[in-house]
Amino acid sequence: MAFTRINGKMVEALVAPGQQLFSQRGAMLAYTGDVRFTPSITGGQGGVMSMIGRRVANEDTPLMTVEGEGRVMFGHGGHHVHVVDLTGDTLFVESDRLLAFDGTLRQSTVFLGSQGGVMGMVRGQVSGQGLFTTRLEGHGSAAVLAHGGVLELPITPGQPVHVDPQAYVGHRGEVRNKLSTAIGWREMIGRGSGEAFQLELSGQGTVYVQASEEKL
Amino acid sequence: MLAVELAGDAVKARHGSMVAYTGQMTFKKLTGGGDGLRGMVARRLTGEKMTVMEVKGQGTCYFADQATEINLVRLDGRALYVEADNLLCTEASLHTGTSFTGLNGMSSGNGLFTTKVEGHGWAAVTSNGPAVVLRVGKDMPLRVDPGAYVAHTGDLHRSLKSGAGWTTVIGEGGGEAVQIEFTGEGLVYVQPSEKTTLGGDV
Amino acid sequence: MSYPPQPPYGAPQPPYDQPTEPGFVVPPLPPAAPAPPGYGPPQGYPPPEPTYVDLQPAHAPAQFDGPAVHDAYTLPVNDNVNPYAFSVELNGSHFLQKGKMIAYYGDITFRGVGAGLVDRALGQHFNSPMHAADWVVAQGRGKLLLADRSFDLNSYDLEDGNLTVRSGNLLAFDPTLRLKQSIIPGFLTLLGTGRFVAASNGPVHFVEPPIRVDPQALVGWADCPAPCHHYDHAYLHGVVGGLRRLTGIGGASGEEHQFEFIGAGQVLLQSSEKLLAERSVGVVGAEAGVPMGGVPTQPGHDAGNPQTPGLGNLGDLGRRFGL
Repeated sequence: MAFTRINGKMVEALVAPGQQLFSQRGAMLAYTGDVRFTPSITGGQGGVMSMIGRRVANEDTPLMTVEGEGRVMFGHGGHHVHVVDLTGDTLFVESDRLLAFDGTLRQSTVFLGSQGGVMGMVRGQVSGQGLFTTRLEGHGSAAVLAHGGVLELPITPGQPVHVDPQAYVGHRGEVRNKLSTAIGWREMIGRGSGEAFQLELSGQGTVYVQASEEKL
Repeated sequence: MLAVELAGDAVKARHGSMVAYTGQMTFKKLTGGGDGLRGMVARRLTGEKMTVMEVKGQGTCYFADQATEINLVRLDGRALYVEADNLLCTEASLHTGTSFTGLNGMSSGNGLFTTKVEGHGWAAVTSNGPAVVLRVGKDMPLRVDPGAYVAHTGDLHRSLKSGAGWTTVIGEGGGEAVQIEFTGEGLVYVQPSEKTTLGGDV
Repeated sequence: MSYPPQPPYGAPQPPYDQPTEPGFVVPPLPPAAPAPPGYGPPQGYPPPEPTYVDLQPAHAPAQFDGPAVHDAYTLPVNDNVNPYAFSVELNGSHFLQKGKMIAYYGDITFRGVGAGLVDRALGQHFNSPMHAADWVVAQGRGKLLLADRSFDLNSYDLEDGNLTVRSGNLLAFDPTLRLKQSIIPGFLTLLGTGRFVAASNGPVHFVEPPIRVDPQALVGWADCPAPCHHYDHAYLHGVVGGLRRLTGIGGASGEEHQFEFIGAGQVLLQSSEKLLAERSVGVVGAEAGVPMGGVPTQPGHDAGNPQTPGLGNLGDLGRRFGL
């Protein structure tokens, strides 16, 4: 069940019996047919333990389950919506950027600090992303929110991409990220170039970047 | 979003406007923002607080600012006058400086000074929504809402027009009390949005 | 919805691969604007050394690319210049919401509705104790550019029809139309034949009933019977539902309340839930049987201006350091 893009800020999903869809609460714009919206207690899948994990990780953006038969339109806050189709690979994105995703996708919370040790912890602090992020894997589609348009930058081995942490939306594939710094004495006295911290993504995959330095 | 392909050369961009890059890049803050010490002193005095960094390297660099649209302006020796907030990026070959706009600027809420870009090359100007480029000719003066004004090029004279009459005083004004009138020959960039300005609120 | 790259005039194709949506065709270069001597569009220039590639939104028409220069003659007649700016050819008078003019050519005056001579002519257009202070009459000859905080603008032609629109979304209308207060609070109804311009947060999407719409996503409707409220709280029934209701576990889905449209017509949706600030439509006299009688329609919870002016958030180091 893929999402159909209506325009840059609105997607439509077909809901059929037996299939379910998770979406951010309150992100439904309109629907036709017989569709039920149920607040999801566990905020996704994985049972209670996973719920606690998410809550601890502050990745527990309230979700609702969408079930029934009909068409549902989603959008949120005038933000741009970007649809990512997953075919067995993984998508890493922050939970508050996740507008809606197929029930067929497995959702889990990952600790980013394990990548890159102390610098990973610092990165979370610096980019304001926290140390945890949401991982989706499997076959299905996810609709991701971004402020401004989204640019997909391919990452290939030997061709790392550097991203401003605040413009980073998410990434997919086998990608390692680390925080690279360019801190010199200039940054210390507040005269830096304003690009002191960058996320360096390397490996094989795609990174999604938004045309803005604003968090959602 | 703006993509700049660099092959060892440099561009000047607004402080902190890089969103991503591939390849090797170095970022260096430029002193002041204008050219040389005088430029710096001028900026200190004028309050046109544009801090500029120089980006140099090999690869592609992406710039963006708050989801605004980017308009490319090709300069061919002409001068471009732009609000400092709206200048995102220029080729290193272009000179930036400040120019005095007089009281017009102040009453439009845009400050007393605007940034003047001169030389040969490309400049990237941001606007809230894609800018509309309007030509001003001899028999074609243009009036612009101060909040929608972004930039202009060419030989233009700006003057402030007041549409305010007695009705404004009693609170039933036309809502378009202050306008900038452009006469002469040139191009004016207008954004489909209005900044909150002193004049625009009247 | 990746942004397709669009090379500037005279520039070679971008030398790197931009991901585009499968099947998406990069729009052709915009036609060059006719240029008077001295202000030629820069397509004749040699390709710039650092190659700038402007990434235009996918839905944008080609005509607003930087070098497309407009003047009093080439501006479209009563049509969009780009998705966010609308050009009105004025010859006579036109009503617009205060402060939505961004530029004009020609000889045009703006008067508050209710000022002097205009009053008499207005009686037929503002058929309610409407808040005249929010409306302006533009009179004269020329081309007028309208825009509203870079929201999407659309014009709608009515032919002896009716369309009801959220008060904050209506930007301008022909004097041939009559504007009335809808009995649904916060909405205005346009009647007659003519054209009006309305803003929306994101492009407008037209759907046909039957449909249930989130109240915030509703821009307006045409020819439909009035909408009714619909409540979805089936999940609060039954044993589990009762438990939910008692304990509050799970919270609300945020989708308990919709507007339901049935019958024939068109419903206009905006693709976001952020509202345009509501305009006061005036007070309805307190009278038995009048909804919201005597209650002034308050400009709703200030939805906030998504495009906050002042792009001053340069290098906000505080956030970068996680403070």
